[in-house]
Formats: sequence, C-alpha cells, structure tokens
Amino acid sequence: MAEPVVVVEQEFQYSSLFAQGQTAIAGMWLFLAQECLFFGGLILTWIYARYWNQAGFDAGSHGTVLWIGSVNTGVLVTSSFVYACALLFIQAGRSRLTAWALALVIALGCVFLMLKGYEWHLDFDSHNWVNDPDFPIKGELEGGAKLFWTFYWIGTVLHAAHMVAGIGLVAYVLRRAVRGDFTVAYHAPVEVVGIFWSFVDIVWMVLWPLIYLIGRMP
Amino acid sequence: MTRSLVKLTLVWVFLMAVAGAEFVVSGVRMEMANRPVLLCFAAVMVATIAFAFMHLGRAPTVAKGFAVAAVFWLIVLFGMGSMDALTRDWYPVPHYNPY
Repeated sequence: MAEPVVVVEQEFQYSSLFAQGQTAIAGMWLFLAQECLFFGGLILTWIYARYWNQAGFDAGSHGTVLWIGSVNTGVLVTSSFVYACALLFIQAGRSRLTAWALALVIALGCVFLMLKGYEWHLDFDSHNWVNDPDFPIKGELEGGAKLFWTFYWIGTVLHAAHMVAGIGLVAYVLRRAVRGDFTVAYHAPVEVVGIFWSFVDIVWMVLWPLIYLIGRMP
Repeated sequence: MTRSLVKLTLVWVFLMAVAGAEFVVSGVRMEMANRPVLLCFAAVMVATIAFAFMHLGRAPTVAKGFAVAAVFWLIVLFGMGSMDALTRDWYPVPHYNPY
C-alpha cells in the first residue's frame, strides 16, 4: 500500500522548512541544557549528603529493589534504540513503520512506569519512607539512610514525571505520524521529541548507579 | 536504511554490554574513594546515547553550543559544590561556633 502524499507548509517566520526544523532542534537542546542544571543540583545534593553519611547511604541503598532498577535500565536503553529506529524509518519515508516503532516506544515507557510503580509499592511495604515510624534502619545510620531515601523519592518521582511527559509527547508524535503529517523532507517533531526521550534515558543512566549500585559495592 | 539499522543495533548491543559491565563491576570489592568509578560507565553510556541516538554530531551549531554549555556549567556546579568536601583533608577547617 502506498504511503500518503502530504505537503507540509513552513511557518511564516522561517526562511525554509529546513530552518524551521533546525530551530526546533536547537530549542530542545536549550531546554535540555537547563534540565541538566536542574538534575545537576539534585545530584550535587546527593554527592554532598553522601560524603558526610556514607555508611547511612550504603545501608539505605541495600533496601532498594535492584532487579527492578536494572531491568528498567534495559527497558529505557531499548526504548531509546527503538525511537532512533523510528526516526530512521521516517527519514526513509516509511511512515507506517515509524508509527509502529513509536507505539512500541510508548509501550516500553509504560512498562518502565509499571515496574517503577510496583517498586514504589514494595518500598512502602518495607516502610522505606522518611516519616514512617517503622523505618527499618535504626541507630546511628538512621539519619544517613533517611537522607538516602529522601534523595531516592525525589529523584525517582522527578524522573517518572519526565517519563509521563515523554510518553505524552511520543503519543502526540504518533498521532501526527498516523495522520501522515511527516515527510522525508520535514519530520522535525519526530526528531525533537526523540531528543527529549533519550535525555530522560540519560538521566536514568546516572540515577541507576547512584541509587542501586554504588551503595551495594562490597 | 539497512546499514543504518545495523549500526543502531550495534550501538544498542554496546550500551547493554556497558550496562552489564557496570553491574558486574559494582560487585567488585573497592575502596570507598574509588566507588565513583561506576560513573565512568555512566559517562560512556551518556556520551554514546547523545551522539548515536540524539544525533548531537549532526545537530545545528547553536545546539552543539547549548550542549557544551550544559557540560561546562555542570563541571562548574559539581566542581565548586564538591570543593569543600574534596579539600577538607588538605586544609583542615577549625570548628567555629559564632554563638
């Protein structure tokens, strides 16, 4: 079946469709530059708090669910790979394949969030909540462990919020792809949303060792 | 397209291998001060994703400038923010109670 033929008109303020796309890509990178500083502040806080409470942080880290964090790492890397394939497909004019790949990205994003939700459920069951009177770590390590879990909750909730935003953006691009809005010549929205999606992946690549691995090292 | 698809697949295999290596190394006994070596694996993965999946190399020049600026300001943020903790042993700070 032939791909639909569409004509995309550029916005009036740009000299060409190419310039319009390049501006959108640059805008996304500018947004991500400030996102780096947003998450950078959080990670600096973690470094500083851990420096003064290493034993407490390590004790807290042992309470995390390692298998879920690790499986989610694979899920996110795979979703970024599939999104890169979606971009490749639209550049080759295969809009149907693009739509299928985008749908798979959304499914992988939902798998990540479902696993994360299950992990949060386990964390609550284990009383790993700062205000919980049955917080499992007592004594001199309690303060450091509570700092760790504060970082854990802020970091993972902020990341999950970005995942939800990302899934919404991918769904928007999928809808437009199904409608046949993108061509070989113009598919900047696919590329721009892909950059954001991979950035959310990158944030997890940093959170994974900080939360699950470093504190568990023998 | 097939060639590009193969390249992307190889990148995915590489990323999964680095993640696996990071996981394995996290089980190796290591001095407390050397533990941040795990972040080297994370840095490799971040750079790979930025260039292979986010196409930073072929992004507009101004976008590359934004990416470089982000890295620069992160270095400033982490450098200045960690300075006290990293140099506390070199320059002991006397206890000071203003009250």
